[in-house]
Amino acid sequence: MIRLSTIAWGLLVAISGYAMFQVKYEVMQLEDELGRVNHQITDSREAIHVLNAEWSVLNQPARLDQLAKRYLSLGPIAAAQVGRIDSLPQRPEVAAAGSVAAPAEPSKPAAPSAPAAGLRVASAKLKVMR
Amino acid sequence: MKERDDNPCRPRHFKPGPCAPAALDGPVKASLETSHTRLVIAGALFCLAFAVIGARLVEVAGFKAGDTRVAHWHSVEQQPQVSRADIVDRNGVLLATNLISPSLYANPKQIQDARSTAHALAGVLPDLSESEVAAKLASDKGFVWIKRQLTPRQEFEVNRLGIPGLQFEREERRIYPKGNLAAHVVGYAGIDNKGLAGIERSFDERLRDRKQPVALSLDVRLQYILRDEISRQITDFNAIGGMGLIMDVNTGEVLALVSLPDFDPNNPGTATPETIFDRVTLGTYEMGSTFKIFNTAMALDTHTATMASSYDATNPIHIGRFTIHDDHAQRRWLTVPEIFEYSSNIGSAKMALDAGIDRQKDFLGRLGLLKAPSFELPEIGAPLVPAQWHTVNSMTIAFGHGISVSPLQMATAVSAVVNGGVLHRATMIKEPAGEAPMGQQVMSARTSEEMRKLLRLVVERGTGKLAAAPGYLVGGKTGTAEKVAAGHYERKGLLSSFIGVFPITEPRYLVMISIDEPHGNKQSFGFATGGWAAAPGVSRVVQRMAPLMGIQPVDEDSPEIRRSLMVDSFSPSGRNVAAN
Repeated sequence: MIRLSTIAWGLLVAISGYAMFQVKYEVMQLEDELGRVNHQITDSREAIHVLNAEWSVLNQPARLDQLAKRYLSLGPIAAAQVGRIDSLPQRPEVAAAGSVAAPAEPSKPAAPSAPAAGLRVASAKLKVMR
Repeated sequence: MKERDDNPCRPRHFKPGPCAPAALDGPVKASLETSHTRLVIAGALFCLAFAVIGARLVEVAGFKAGDTRVAHWHSVEQQPQVSRADIVDRNGVLLATNLISPSLYANPKQIQDARSTAHALAGVLPDLSESEVAAKLASDKGFVWIKRQLTPRQEFEVNRLGIPGLQFEREERRIYPKGNLAAHVVGYAGIDNKGLAGIERSFDERLRDRKQPVALSLDVRLQYILRDEISRQITDFNAIGGMGLIMDVNTGEVLALVSLPDFDPNNPGTATPETIFDRVTLGTYEMGSTFKIFNTAMALDTHTATMASSYDATNPIHIGRFTIHDDHAQRRWLTVPEIFEYSSNIGSAKMALDAGIDRQKDFLGRLGLLKAPSFELPEIGAPLVPAQWHTVNSMTIAFGHGISVSPLQMATAVSAVVNGGVLHRATMIKEPAGEAPMGQQVMSARTSEEMRKLLRLVVERGTGKLAAAPGYLVGGKTGTAEKVAAGHYERKGLLSSFIGVFPITEPRYLVMISIDEPHGNKQSFGFATGGWAAAPGVSRVVQRMAPLMGIQPVDEDSPEIRRSLMVDSFSPSGRNVAAN
């Protein structure tokens, strides 16, 4: 009886001691990792800061202008290239359905000009920084 | 009772007596009771201590799981610690920032071979002098600077050499990624982290105290467009300099501000006083005919003239030692719109005479042209106003001579003339979106509308035809002033300007360009006036910026626009001449 409780207490002490050291080492490890990660975050933030500055240098409008002139065959958007969606003519089917008397004739020029306008808008967007 | 005897610590040889004494009395009982009381008190204290510890344990384990204080200890700084905040444009584009850059130093005592180390260093840092470095490394000091403020790449290269005794020290450095582009607005800061010019100077404390960037009203894209076109006009007309600005007429925000020649704020040491001088805010100039905008607005607003009034511009006016004559002389009676359209000095002088000195002074004062403006840049020029305002002053001021104002004041006042008559303080700081800034009504909305029609007239068929930008309805006024040199007006030294506003039906932006001492060229048939030297630049700026600002081009010949811009008071003769 006496022996049993002694052994039980001994075991308990051993287990709790082991557990305590185990937890302590785990905490130390985690703290190391935290420190490392924090260091990485600081480094990354500094890198972002530097890269932001570099981004701004590389995006100097004069430089972009030069690059665009050298590599792109685009120019600033002329007023004639800008239009409104609601000023586009109706699509042929809709126009035909709307008026029986005038079939596809008035909407004929719409077909070739609509996609061309789309292309221009796309190229205009590329050219925005010029 | 039996269980109590199972105490494992009880000495084996000790057995308690069969029974306790039957009764206690006297001193024994008293001492037993005392010790009992003490035991209870001590026990209670221990219980209390354990209860407190237990409660705290439960609290920490159960209720404080997400305690932020612990996490906060270990968390890192939100931003890299720099001692000066960034400056950005209205779209957040970086204009000035502090970079932490490494500086290379050496401990010569640890350097084994000064000569070969110097050779290796000169290999990766080409702007170092090898012999100088060798001399530094051979000295018996414990610390010598090799090179301050390296780039990250150079730092990497030096590290790769792997030479012991070379060390880095982290230093801060202010850099301006856009270089010359916004030099006069941003200004520059000295090596001791003190702002010396521009926003860097006027917002010095704010930049040092708070970490949030300062957002300017400037738009880098427009700044580039304006600078590009002004420098093109300067080259075309072989001029000595130029300036200009773009302003939002409804808020007073300056979207671009260019003064050429300019400097690189990254190397303020190489700048000369001439390049640092901000012509737009610090320089004051006799602006010439662009002042007729105010003269005409004054006459219309004070009702001393109407759109239908006419004045005799047949002969030059002789007053004192001056002769006032017209550059585009018509030699007949002119209506108010014609005076504006042909930029008649004679007619303008007579309009000013009709209004009188007091009204003129009061009107120009209301537009803020007689005192220094309040503006965020520290470089502010005060206007030069005649001390004694005589009739002759009044007549020359009518066409912009005898009074010097800064281009910034000019733009602010013209904005008020076209935007419905509300004067907004010019500002270099971005206005919060959606808030209509407070302004001061300085003239009637009707006068403003009439002035818009007149400004359109100048571009449609007057002196400013070259400023037209098809689809964007530019209105504006040319101005060509003779610069004062050695006390008299110089026929050759001109300041040629154009102030444009678009779209004139509902003005949004003002574009102003002035070219300093332009010389006529073949394309301009030898002319160097505002209509030739500055107006084409304004036209190109408008055409390039309008798509960026989302301005819808319109059909300038549509009946609604024609009607809205019709000047309703032409004399029959005027219409004939204008049509010719």
